[in-house]
Amino acid sequence: MAEIQTEPVTLLPSVPLDADEERLQLREVERTRQAQRRTLIWIVSWRLTLLVVLLFGWYFASGHIVDRLFASNPIDVAKAFGDYIGDGTLWYNLRYTLIEVAVGYGAGTVIALVAAGLLSIFTTAHRVLHPFLMALYAVPKIAIAPLMIMWFGLGLTPKFLLSGIFVFFVVFMNTLAGLRSVSPSLINVARVMGARRHQLLLKVVFPSATPNVLTAMRITVPEAMVGAIVGEFIAGNRGIGYLINSASNQYNTAGVFAGIIAILIVVLLMDSLVTLLERRLMRWRPPSAADR
Amino acid sequence: MTALRRAAAAGGAPAGDPRRLTLERLYKVYVSRGESLLAVRDVSLKIEPGEFVTFLGPSGCGKSTVLNMLAGLESITDGSAHQGGRPITGVNTDVGYITQDDNLLPWRTLLDNVAFPLELRGVGKGERRERAHELLRSVGLAGFESAYPHELSGGMRKRGSIARTLLVDEPVILMDEPFGPLDAQTRLLLQDELLRLWSGSGKTIVFVTHDLVEAIALSDRIVIFTSTPGTIKSIHTIDIPRPRDVFHIYETDRFTELFDLLWAELREEITKARARH
Repeated sequence: MAEIQTEPVTLLPSVPLDADEERLQLREVERTRQAQRRTLIWIVSWRLTLLVVLLFGWYFASGHIVDRLFASNPIDVAKAFGDYIGDGTLWYNLRYTLIEVAVGYGAGTVIALVAAGLLSIFTTAHRVLHPFLMALYAVPKIAIAPLMIMWFGLGLTPKFLLSGIFVFFVVFMNTLAGLRSVSPSLINVARVMGARRHQLLLKVVFPSATPNVLTAMRITVPEAMVGAIVGEFIAGNRGIGYLINSASNQYNTAGVFAGIIAILIVVLLMDSLVTLLERRLMRWRPPSAADR
Repeated sequence: MTALRRAAAAGGAPAGDPRRLTLERLYKVYVSRGESLLAVRDVSLKIEPGEFVTFLGPSGCGKSTVLNMLAGLESITDGSAHQGGRPITGVNTDVGYITQDDNLLPWRTLLDNVAFPLELRGVGKGERRERAHELLRSVGLAGFESAYPHELSGGMRKRGSIARTLLVDEPVILMDEPFGPLDAQTRLLLQDELLRLWSGSGKTIVFVTHDLVEAIALSDRIVIFTSTPGTIKSIHTIDIPRPRDVFHIYETDRFTELFDLLWAELREEITKARARH
């Protein structure tokens, strides 16, 4: 797992050290690393244990405590998953969903960043548009799914739009909040240094909003998936949402779970991509207790 | 600006020296949520080229407001401020400006922070890094170029922020309680360092503090402000010879005399300010 990584230790120069002191310092660095590694191993083992317990619990409860028809069991689910892979069903449907999510997430994020950037520059426009944006934000996104299908048919377009809309508002709102929360004294100091308007935006305002943008990008990974799946539920003849829906119509509970697991894997992979991006962009941040 | 400097260098009208600040009948009224407050009243002052002038007064007496008007960050309600022959209207980019916070950009390394003003001026990466490097060495921060601000102590960050200001050679430096958040030892070290960097530079420094000892140790002249609305109560010339030793200056007789004199005046204003809150 990518998580088993220890914090990089930078040796800041303080005073010239003699050989013994240097050895002492390196030993302490090594000790700290080992302690961190031990904690991580401990946590990961607990996670695996919990997973095994849950799977066993599911296996034994099914058919005894809950009806097997509705609960299926881990072995049947694994079989169904294997069958879907074997006969190409999974890839055939997953491909479709992946395209929807990728386009929806990508476009939704980019458009939200641009829109937030523009509204942070044109503050009057922001004040004019604010109630309209809030009204749109207040509409449960699922409620507009049927409209999208009515307007754009059964193809990919309504799914792109649904997925994109789910992403857009969260990224937009968070980015705008980030852009507006930039420290006024940073701005003032940069202005006295002679920063022009575009320099202030590119070099002070936007960078200070990165934490907000990254948070939003993390929250919206599952949201993008929700948009696509909802679209497929309502109308479609391909995609993981469609697969789950048709399996459930046939009371194929194992098939439903297999579909859910496919979604889970995709979302977790996307989440780790965001984590990689975060690691790259947020190196300047002090490590916090919230970090894993 | 460059035209002004050229005029000054050519021995032109001394009024055009960009190190000279002229404040004439400055007023500041703040309006917020339907309430208005007269913060600065009738402040007139001439600050000579190369002078170290300190504004001293109880907190909230408008001394920072006056400084911010000189930086062009606060609009002038009435009156005028000039740097050299030029009236200060918009943001004043011909000054260095240092506040209580170090205001380093947290996502930049120390080196890139110090080089920031050169970057804004379009100086190439190689040259600006080289110049920032050199300056970091002169303020004792060699070896920390690639550290991020959160990895540095408050004193180191402040040094970095001073280095950044000195990198572009502005004729005037405005400092708003720059050493406020630092511990006592670091404060002394940085005061000493500031005097070292300033002496011989010919720059004008306008310094805001509420620390009387600091004010006496550093300044050529101290301007005492009254409590709100802030106006000039008195101006004192500090005739302690330079170079000064900030670590031992308080042991001299002249220091004690000045301290007693200034403290008496300052205390009156502090008491007034207290009574109001």
